[in-house]
Amino acid sequence: MSNNSYTKNEVLLKATDVSLQYGDKQILRDINFSVHDIHRPELSQGQVVSLIGRSGIGKTQLFRILAGLNKPTTGTVLIDEDQHPVHPGEMGIVPQNYVLFNHRSIYNNLKIGLDNAAVKLSDAEKKAIINDYADTFQLSEHLKKYPAQLSGGQRQRVSIIQQVLTGNKFILLDEPFSGLDILMIDRVIGLLQKVSTLAEHNTLIIVSHDIENAAALSDTVWILAQEEAKPGATIVKEYDLCHMGLAWTPEIRSNPDFVGLIKEIKSRL
Amino acid sequence: MNLIKSFFEPLRIISRRNMIFLMIAEIVLALLAWQLSGGGLIPTPVKVLKALGGIASAPDFIDNLFASLSLTIKGMAISILIALVISYLAMIPFFHPIARFVVKCRYLTLTGLIFLFTLWTQNGHQLKVSLLIFGIVPFFVTSLLAEFESINMQEFELCTTLRMNSWKTWLEVVVRGRLDQVFEVMRQNFAIAWLMITSVEGLSMSEGGLGVMLIKANKYVQLEAVFGTLVIIFILGVLFDYILGKMRQWLFPYTNLQTRK
Repeated sequence: MSNNSYTKNEVLLKATDVSLQYGDKQILRDINFSVHDIHRPELSQGQVVSLIGRSGIGKTQLFRILAGLNKPTTGTVLIDEDQHPVHPGEMGIVPQNYVLFNHRSIYNNLKIGLDNAAVKLSDAEKKAIINDYADTFQLSEHLKKYPAQLSGGQRQRVSIIQQVLTGNKFILLDEPFSGLDILMIDRVIGLLQKVSTLAEHNTLIIVSHDIENAAALSDTVWILAQEEAKPGATIVKEYDLCHMGLAWTPEIRSNPDFVGLIKEIKSRL
Repeated sequence: MNLIKSFFEPLRIISRRNMIFLMIAEIVLALLAWQLSGGGLIPTPVKVLKALGGIASAPDFIDNLFASLSLTIKGMAISILIALVISYLAMIPFFHPIARFVVKCRYLTLTGLIFLFTLWTQNGHQLKVSLLIFGIVPFFVTSLLAEFESINMQEFELCTTLRMNSWKTWLEVVVRGRLDQVFEVMRQNFAIAWLMITSVEGLSMSEGGLGVMLIKANKYVQLEAVFGTLVIIFILGVLFDYILGKMRQWLFPYTNLQTRK
């Protein structure tokens, strides 16, 4: 069996006929997609899907609908194995500007994630978990600092871990590569890969206009764009990178098939 | 030359040392201009300074000072308590109209209500405290509500994604998250309380106070004493402002991390 053998099982997230309209203006139209639980032998393989589209196309609106923060004009978003409608709070979100509680230290920002988790823990257990995550994600020396004292990349890591600690299996990330330098982008990709493999059902949904980085990390890519002569953005193409043999591959950027894929995606936007 | 040029450049951040130098230079210049233009109705700084000495050594000065300070602190403490309750409750829809009404009470003149307050209260002290509270609370609530209403929506959404219910969200974002701003509002509005003190003290002069000293000096056209008392009130106000500012930095160390230095 090859390292990249996999099976796709039950549906974890399904959007059906999602549309969004403000007055006469159609923002999103007939959006349909589903995320399946991916199994890889001897691995806790979560799902990483990317929603790629040009700026202003409606990615953030779709992001908010998926998170349950906004209601679509029509359609449904169902999550988990029992496929119930998404409620606000069931999906973690990491916004582009990495919002944290400025009055709490980094330690306490992470602790609040555990305070509200489904599993109740003692303070000692919480401390051990936070220290463990801080160590893994290189934040140990920053635990006593306040968010305003951290760089953008560090804030992003805190923001992601905060959501993981809350126990959210689904995490939506809005433009996670925006404003980061090349080295930081590689570190973020490493971090997200790590988060995606923490648990079998962990599902990361990346909303981005950065095609190359988003695709390099993902097992599925959706293209959000406008179809000719039709109002509103919709999913115009889905790429199954597992099926194409382009998922979970280190050094994927130099793979000729991947380079070809990026060209094709660009042409569709 | 560059240093002088930097003093006149918009948005230029100058060193703390240079800023202190600038402040002292401007104060000295202002005092000089005051001294040189003096001789008319306004007493010169030297005369005010002499009057200050006389005021400070007067036997009833400490009592008057203490009367004003205790009245201000008592009025402020009760006002803060009332304003905080009204402002925090304003985040709950049922109480929002009440808070909005309190905000509009800024336009109610105290002079028209003195008679009503005189009937409601039992003595001069109570009358002064209640007028002080009635005068301060609407300004406090206005500033606090403006602060709460400017909270970024994303902070509330963060709480939602962290599975916090609406009460926890309110406690985290509005109460805990804005404690430093509440302190700042308190600091800014202390000036209003301090200004009002001289007006309300005139309503019941038996307890004394800096306001009573001012009224008496005005009555007998003792301009040096009037200016001397004003200087004391001004210096005390500036001192309190400084102390409250330092306390804010000490209590909420994160506030200074996000401001221009």
